[in-house]
Amino acid sequence: MHQDGKEAPSVSRRSLIAGAALVPVAALSSAAQSAGPPATKAAKSVFSEAERKTLEAFIDRLVPKDELGPGAVECGAANYIDQALGGALADEKESFLQGLASVDAFARSAHGASLAELTPDQQDAVLTAMDRGSATGFANARAVFARIRRLTLEGMFSDPYYGGNQNFRGWDLIRYPGPRVAVSPEEQKIKVEIKPYRRSALGANHGHQS
Amino acid sequence: MAINLKPVDVAVIGLGAAGGVAVLPLARAGLKVAGLEAGTWMDPHSFKPDELHNNVRGLLTSVPKANREVPTVRNGPSGQTRRGNIHPMMNAIGGTSIHYWAQSWRLKAWDFKTRSEAVKRYGPNSIPKGSTLEDWPLTYDDLEPYYDLIEHEVGVSGKAGNIQGKIDPLGNVYEAPRQREYPMPPLRGSGFTDHMAEVAKQLGWKPYRPPAAINSQEYQGRPGCAYHGYCSRGGCHISAKNSTAVTTIPAALKTKNLTIFDHAHITRIVAGGDGRVTGVTYLKDGKEYFQPAKVVLLASYTYENSRLLLLSQSKAYPKGLANNHGQVGRHYFGHWQGGVAALFPFDINIWYGTPAQAAAVDEWADDNYDHSGLGFIGGTTLQPHTEMHPIEAASMSSFGQAPGWGSRWKAFVRENAARWVSAYMQTSTFPYEDIYLDLDPEVRDPLGDPVCRVTTAAKENESRASDFAQKKMEEWFRAAGAIQVIRGGGGAPGVSTHAYGGTRMGDNPDTNVVDRWGFAHEAPNLGILGASVMGTSGARNPTETAQALAWRTADHLAKSWKSIAG
Repeated sequence: MHQDGKEAPSVSRRSLIAGAALVPVAALSSAAQSAGPPATKAAKSVFSEAERKTLEAFIDRLVPKDELGPGAVECGAANYIDQALGGALADEKESFLQGLASVDAFARSAHGASLAELTPDQQDAVLTAMDRGSATGFANARAVFARIRRLTLEGMFSDPYYGGNQNFRGWDLIRYPGPRVAVSPEEQKIKVEIKPYRRSALGANHGHQS
Repeated sequence: MAINLKPVDVAVIGLGAAGGVAVLPLARAGLKVAGLEAGTWMDPHSFKPDELHNNVRGLLTSVPKANREVPTVRNGPSGQTRRGNIHPMMNAIGGTSIHYWAQSWRLKAWDFKTRSEAVKRYGPNSIPKGSTLEDWPLTYDDLEPYYDLIEHEVGVSGKAGNIQGKIDPLGNVYEAPRQREYPMPPLRGSGFTDHMAEVAKQLGWKPYRPPAAINSQEYQGRPGCAYHGYCSRGGCHISAKNSTAVTTIPAALKTKNLTIFDHAHITRIVAGGDGRVTGVTYLKDGKEYFQPAKVVLLASYTYENSRLLLLSQSKAYPKGLANNHGQVGRHYFGHWQGGVAALFPFDINIWYGTPAQAAAVDEWADDNYDHSGLGFIGGTTLQPHTEMHPIEAASMSSFGQAPGWGSRWKAFVRENAARWVSAYMQTSTFPYEDIYLDLDPEVRDPLGDPVCRVTTAAKENESRASDFAQKKMEEWFRAAGAIQVIRGGGGAPGVSTHAYGGTRMGDNPDTNVVDRWGFAHEAPNLGILGASVMGTSGARNPTETAQALAWRTADHLAKSWKSIAG
């Protein structure tokens, strides 16, 4: 659980001033900051080309692109998972890759090809069997399914700094209005449209308005 | 060999919510205090509105000590032992008061005298079977002056409902009498919490805005809350949350009587052959130090308080420090916290705010209603609140309306992620014979010491109390327009952010570790701070009570210095 190297630069002083008319100046002087170390990005993918294809096929069925908009793939959830397994979640990299291999092994035994090669209906059948724990010969299928689903949600809805939620597509999907440094009473009303604030609170632009 | 340090008057183990408070009266009294803290200072500017970092990965901490010592849990002595990934506590100067919800309540007079009050009103059979419940050795009135001190020194926002017996319906009319108003008005409401409060009134209930150690306006040179929605497990970027790191600890440092030793990983409390403690050993940067002290105050979290005592074995204490009566780890319990989730047909906009920004109802808490024939004692506070994060929102229940993935799931979440809420509900919880802490026989921390093990069990009293309250919460949500409600949660608590007991306070040394002032019956110069001394939970967050008790113990120490320090 070592966190060194994962510390991301924080909301900058400038964004605090820009976004927080209510914050007294006294609070800002203590908030002066240095930029901090850049976050560690995975130098290269933890996935082989085939593993990446399997993962993308999987999460594309979990949250498909459809008439309601982009899905997990378009949100960059696979990027998020890649970066996480190369950094913060490195401890579970091996078990995750083993899980992907098991998905393909099950897909082959049940439908004769790896997950990415199957039709969407066949892919759904693979996911359904895993979700229900009825995937023959795939003992930890439910746990693998649950973990991929969980990381896909993290990849869709976390700050884009972590590699997913690209162009804020995840936040747009659920109408999350975005992290702000200060929130007015008007912005907490109900049945009132709140203008989304589409900036990362972290990362290269530190949440600055560009 | 440990490096011997210069002796001090008082060594305080842990500068969190409790230890961080106790150092102030000690330092003001002129005692030389060593504040030993496993973590270090955190820069408020490093506190980010980042759900992944704070809530999902639990990384807001200055060192990862607690996360390497997560207790194990089992349901009963034959249950399967399990272990979570994240400890509910963090390590830093200020401790978990940096990332807590800052809900800052007084207990009710009833919570201090539950056993005798329940017997008086409902008869001896009303005491839950197998419970080791005792009256506290002090009353609400004894603690009131210290509650008042904490509310003003730390800074608590709220509205009084009972000032010296005068009832104000704008506050909580069920609260115990207080000597004066809060130093700051309550936090503002949100559209959603105002709506819930309005509906509660229509039900004939008396909603109020709950108290919080969060500035509702500028206080002691720090600004009012920005309501940005990353308070839970997040630090405050403008220091509007009144952790001890920005309140009592800086005030104690100003006296020059407090010296902080950070990155000090306490390994043992040392006792002499006469049973008195002589100091503590700790590791820092790979070296071992011994800090001699005339008095030691143990102020880590509930789990670590018991663990450190059990690990500190010596000739005088072969079963662990202050444990010759076998009471360390006993009378432990985690707070029962049920939940009721509701789905509304419109966006409720609870993204921002803070969990203490809530509509609270006490009608069904404590002994505020007649329990005759209900089969339980105690009650529950109902508290729908704000602060929702995007991953959490999308991880919602499908309320039986959609599968867990695919296009139909996506359509459901798209429509409803912004339309659901879960109420916060805390139920009075009591100690039992078969719920306790000890050392895990297998799982160890990186130093090779056993971690704490929780043995828990489901209890009928708390289960019935929780069910009763969940029905009330459902009624409230439905009256407010909810189209779907799920009652659930509850069950035997595992590792908890509200962990009580293990070093219970009481006059009888056969059933309690510390006396009415917080000092160990067996080791008179060892004081213990935190909710680990509390024998009942009440139906509300423990921190302000733990802080009032800590101040009282420190105050007693300063006033009785010669008799305690020897």
